[in-house]
Amino acid sequence: MEFINLVLGSFSLLLSPQILLYVVAGFLIGTIFASIPGLTATLALALLLPLTYSLDVSTALMACASIYMAGMCGGSITATTINIPGAPSSMMTALDGYPMQLQGKGPLALGHAAFGSMVGGALGAILLIVLAPFVAEVALLVKTTGKFSLLAFAIVVIVIAQRGKVVKAGMAACIGLMLATVGLDAMEPMTRFTFGSSELTAGLDLMPMIIGTFAISEILIQAKSNGCAEKMVEALKKVTISRRDFIPPLSEIRKIGVMCYLKSSLIGYAVGTLPGAGGSMGSFLAYAETVRTSDEPETFGKGNPKGIVASESANNAVCGGALVPMLTFGIPGDPVTAIMLGVLVINGIQPGPQLMVGQAELIAPMLASLLFSALILIPLTLYLLGPYFIKIVAIRKDVLYGIIALLAVVGSYVATFSTFQMMMSLIIGILAYYLRKHDFPVITLLLGFILGPNLEEFLRRSLSLSNGNPMTFFTNYDSLFFVILTLIFVYFLAIKKPLKKPF
Amino acid sequence: MLLNKNVVFHFLLFFLSVGYFVIAINLGAPFANNGLQPSSFPLLIGLFAMMFSSILLYREVKLMKSKASSLEDDTQTDNALSGKGRFAPLAVMLSIFLYILLFSPLGYFFSSILFVLSIIIIFSSLEKVLQKIVISTIIVSFGYLVFEQMFGVRLPTLWG
Repeated sequence: MEFINLVLGSFSLLLSPQILLYVVAGFLIGTIFASIPGLTATLALALLLPLTYSLDVSTALMACASIYMAGMCGGSITATTINIPGAPSSMMTALDGYPMQLQGKGPLALGHAAFGSMVGGALGAILLIVLAPFVAEVALLVKTTGKFSLLAFAIVVIVIAQRGKVVKAGMAACIGLMLATVGLDAMEPMTRFTFGSSELTAGLDLMPMIIGTFAISEILIQAKSNGCAEKMVEALKKVTISRRDFIPPLSEIRKIGVMCYLKSSLIGYAVGTLPGAGGSMGSFLAYAETVRTSDEPETFGKGNPKGIVASESANNAVCGGALVPMLTFGIPGDPVTAIMLGVLVINGIQPGPQLMVGQAELIAPMLASLLFSALILIPLTLYLLGPYFIKIVAIRKDVLYGIIALLAVVGSYVATFSTFQMMMSLIIGILAYYLRKHDFPVITLLLGFILGPNLEEFLRRSLSLSNGNPMTFFTNYDSLFFVILTLIFVYFLAIKKPLKKPF
Repeated sequence: MLLNKNVVFHFLLFFLSVGYFVIAINLGAPFANNGLQPSSFPLLIGLFAMMFSSILLYREVKLMKSKASSLEDDTQTDNALSGKGRFAPLAVMLSIFLYILLFSPLGYFFSSILFVLSIIIIFSSLEKVLQKIVISTIIVSFGYLVFEQMFGVRLPTLWG
């Protein structure tokens, strides 16, 4: 209850014009990035990460939360208008959004998407606010061996969640773990893999890792597929949407049914709590469940607003779910929460259960911003700026990538004022580009890098405490719990047959 | 040609994994005094990396052999990718590399204008260069406002 009061109290921070400006600007940037196919809210956050150095942690996290929420709903704009999802999480939205656009109901489809996003985002945020303190209390019970098994569980789940490319995901995670071992050993005064370079003694910085993995590799990918972008801009120029039809009538919302909103949001939230699952899996599962339980499944894929609602409620509820493991265990579930974790780390704050218990005042404003973004900014932004987003999205790609390239490269200079970090960003960016080109999921690389140091530390501490006996991972109940959980997830995600696509 | 590139890439990953593992071995014994030493974790990661990369390399070689008969189709696909799009990523890499080298000696403004201009040209064409120089200058000035004026980051200047 104390934490809920703290979150409610944090809404007063939004009365400060400066903080409100950062939150609203973050939301607009997130929406623009998410609505441009090829760009994502992750890229927006990666580019803005260096700027968080000059902000206080709470304000930076509030801006991050609004970008995250915007990133999940912004993709529906181009998914609906030109059948190209701006973000992967809006893939399922396009199935019914675009047919509605073809029927001349594009604005209404966007209205349904925004309303679904608002409900899903708000429910996800409320569940996070209510449940996170309890999860953090439970997390405090997890000791060293349990922490190792938990981190191993997270990495295994992230890898096996990449269906169809598990070996590639495993390899990418190994590269991330390898990069995490560069520098001074955490327990003994010995350097590893530095090749005599004094600049590598402290290890690789998180900033060039994030900027390289998400920003520079994206510029390289887009440079290769530039022709597609031009076609997309041409398609967008033909689209016109008006504001008057945005608001979905109450009769249609009733027809969709409260249960559809609630069930999809709960599915999204639950999926969000799993490491590596993300918005696209949440929206896919909610959509599949809505089709499965519908009386008229044949109408889906032909412009049924229920499909849009299911997809958008779920992907926005993922935001609340994905923050649970990040805040309570220090395990990021997706790229955005990995960057948010980066904001904490670069400010010298160690994420984990102690953070929720001991420094809740830092986290509460972020959750207030998440709820504010869902309830106020999603509908307001769509209503006020919806018609103009199409024009913004049709921005010249050469100019856009000029700006992104400048922000990415100069951004990596900001951390240490050294061109060495810029060079590291380029090297990591080239590595990530070739990995992505060969269909390796780079998110597992980043999570391997982030979780690697703790994974190693807890493994070595656990075995030191047990005099080198590996059975300690099976005899401690907290560790055994995560070992069994890992086996369950391996069974359901890697061994059991996957769900069929609805279309 | 494209398939050969895939094999080369996967071979490089395998080579990287083996190299990492060999360096990890040279870090010393993995166990001592009933505890794990600094080499133990890299050895474990190296083993996993070798396992994954060898599976991927085997798959690629197998795929290459099975598609060897349809080599003509691949060549056609490769030709379709040729031209600007094929070299654009390399041009971007070179631009960023040169920008980093020139960032401190030339200062933020001059190096950034050249860099942004090069990226704009890579993503479009050599037409209307004057207009693109003006756009680059505006973007770089905007970057200056964001980094130096709004967020207080001290950027290098030509005059030190």
